[in-house]
Order: sequence, then C-alpha cells, then structure tokens
Amino acid sequence: MNAPAPAAATPARNPGPSWGYRFLRLADRWVPEPLFRPARAFGTAVALLNMREQRRHSRAYLRVILGREPATREVFRHFFAFEEMLMLKLRVADGRPHRGVLAPGCSDFRRFLDTPEDALLGTFHVGHSDLVGFLFGGQEQRRVSMVRLRVGNSHDVEKLGATFGRWVSFVWVNEGENLLFALKDAITAGGSLALKCDRLEHSSRAEPFQFLGARRLFPFTIYHLAIIFGRPVYLCVGVPGAPGESVIHSSPRWLPDPSVSRARNLESARAHFQVFLDLVESLLRADPYLWFNYRPLNLEAPARP
Amino acid sequence: MPDPLNHQLKVLIVETLRLEDITPASIPDDEPLVGGGLSLDSIDALELVVRLEKEFGIKIASSEESRTALASVTALSAYLRAHADPARLPA
Repeated sequence: MNAPAPAAATPARNPGPSWGYRFLRLADRWVPEPLFRPARAFGTAVALLNMREQRRHSRAYLRVILGREPATREVFRHFFAFEEMLMLKLRVADGRPHRGVLAPGCSDFRRFLDTPEDALLGTFHVGHSDLVGFLFGGQEQRRVSMVRLRVGNSHDVEKLGATFGRWVSFVWVNEGENLLFALKDAITAGGSLALKCDRLEHSSRAEPFQFLGARRLFPFTIYHLAIIFGRPVYLCVGVPGAPGESVIHSSPRWLPDPSVSRARNLESARAHFQVFLDLVESLLRADPYLWFNYRPLNLEAPARP
Repeated sequence: MPDPLNHQLKVLIVETLRLEDITPASIPDDEPLVGGGLSLDSIDALELVVRLEKEFGIKIASSEESRTALASVTALSAYLRAHADPARLPA
C-alpha cells in the first residue's frame, strides 16, 4: 500500500525546451510532413542522447518484452512512438479531426456510451490512451473528469483541455493529500472519472497482477472507489488505427455487487483487472513501442508464501 | 454512562468498514481512527467520510477537515455536534 505523495512545491516539467510544444505546432502548420517528420525524428534522436534515465528505462522495458537485449534503433523507435503520440495530441488539440473507434468485442462499452450512466474509466500510459478521455468527451459528448499530474509545461494537456473544455475537466493529482477528496467531489458532481491504472506513485492501494512475465504491482484504487460510490468500472486503452482514428479497446463492465461481501467483490475485481491487463500485454506484444512509461517497470511483488 | 453518539459512531465504523475481529466496544474513545490501532488508511477514511455525510447530512470537504474529524471517536462526536443537523444526532 502506498501513501499519497506529498504535494510538490514546484511542479515537475516534461523534458524538452519550454518553447518545444509551440514550435512543434507552428512548424506543423508551415512545414510539409515529408520534411517535418524527419526533422521530428532528428529531434527525437537528440532527446534520446540527452535523456539518459528514460533511455535506461526504455531499454529495460524492451529487454523484458522482447526477451533479448534491444538494439539502439529499437530504443529510438520507442522514443519516436511517444513523440508521434505527442504530435497527434497537439494536432487534435488544434482541431484536426480524429475519432475513436471501438475494437470488436467492446459491446459493454458501446452500451455504456449509449446510456447516461457515469462510470470510472481506468486507462494506461499506452498508445493513444491519453486521447481516449478527450475523444470520449468531444465525440460522445459525455462529461468526464480526468485525473492528471500537473507539470510545469503541460501545454499539450492545457490545449486539449481548452479545445474540449465543454466536456472535459481535470483533477490534478499534485495535491496528493487532498486527492481522494478531489476524486470524491468529481464523482459526486456527476460525469465519469478517468484515471490511470499503471503508475503507483499516487495510488492509495496497489495489488499484484501477472504482467510481462512476473507478478507486478498495479494501482487498484479504482475498484475501491467503485465499491464506495457504487459506480461501474470500464478499463480502456487506445492504440493507433487507420489514419485519423484511434482504436479503443475496453473491458466488460464491472459493477460491485452490494449483496455480496467486499472480499467477493474485490476477488471479481482482481479477475476483471487481470483479464484486461492480459489484453494490454497482447497489444504491447504486437507493438512493443506503445508502452509510454519511461520509468522503472512496475515493481515485482514479493512471492506468495 | 457511555456517550450514545460515541457508541453509534463505533457501530457505524465497524459496519461501514466491515472490521473483522473488532467490536464497537473495543474501539477506544480517544485513539486515532486513521493510522491507529484500527489500521485504517486513506481509502477507509474516505469510505467512512462518505457514510458519515450520508448518515448525518454533513460535508467534509478536504483531507485536512477529515483528519480533524477522524482524530478519534471523541473528536468525531464533537465534530458532528458542531456541524450535523441536531435532529440526526441521538438525544
């Protein structure tokens, strides 16, 4: 179990120069893509050289998922995939048409989108998942509060927030002390709440799940919130689809059953999360570069006695 | 003579958090509820706050306020006497 992180006095920054996002948006408007893309690849290579920590974690993750030592070009591809996602976010924020398309088998999520029900949406730092909340708001015209870490230069998120402000609002996790109360307010105010389920630092409760060959700790707070507030949980990730589209994969609906014990509810929640985590792993095995956590892979849990 | 509100709160704590092996009578009046002998954490505190809000028609808006309210059963009683509708409190 992790205590909430203390409030940061100075918000952390995304790597890169302070003018980086604005430069990318300006260049995107004037520089033809056949020239701009190689320029972005060059910028990514410079970033790769300078970001030693992230490079190390990328290499460690790729080593696990590929089952061998990754080549430098593979680490570069991992970085470039993230850069391309960032570019897509900026483009969507600037109004470029982009839509989310549900993957086959997401019938529960389709039904959810067709009803006024509010839910807890768990997502991951994978592929186009950062866009799912915005697409959910803008495309489906549903109110959603997104739990995000405020950083010093989150121009991409601010711009997306401005573009989709009618439907999307933010709960900032930086005030760790008050996070759970901010989540309570967001849930009780109505609308759905989207929170990431793969990073442990702001999670009140974590549990071990099988992922990439080991039992690793993942945040589990979303299910406790679902039990407390009686809300359904859907887990979803977005991956690149056809041009102008993200393919959204979603779990079946999980709803706490008030007629059974908490232990039984948590047991079924664990099974629900594990099944979706298996899907995330299969998506990553198909395209390993979509894991956008350039930090230590989720900790392995101690072996069960 | 035990305070009836204290007793009601202890029953509510045990019920809400489904505490096993703990009876209402075994909860001390002045022990911290969170981080004390009951081993409650922030999620437990949130669940308790949600139940208290429903039961007593109060609004606990921040973790700081919840820390004050949940400092102990006695502190929680005092908080409710100051903030809750008296009609919802035991006579």
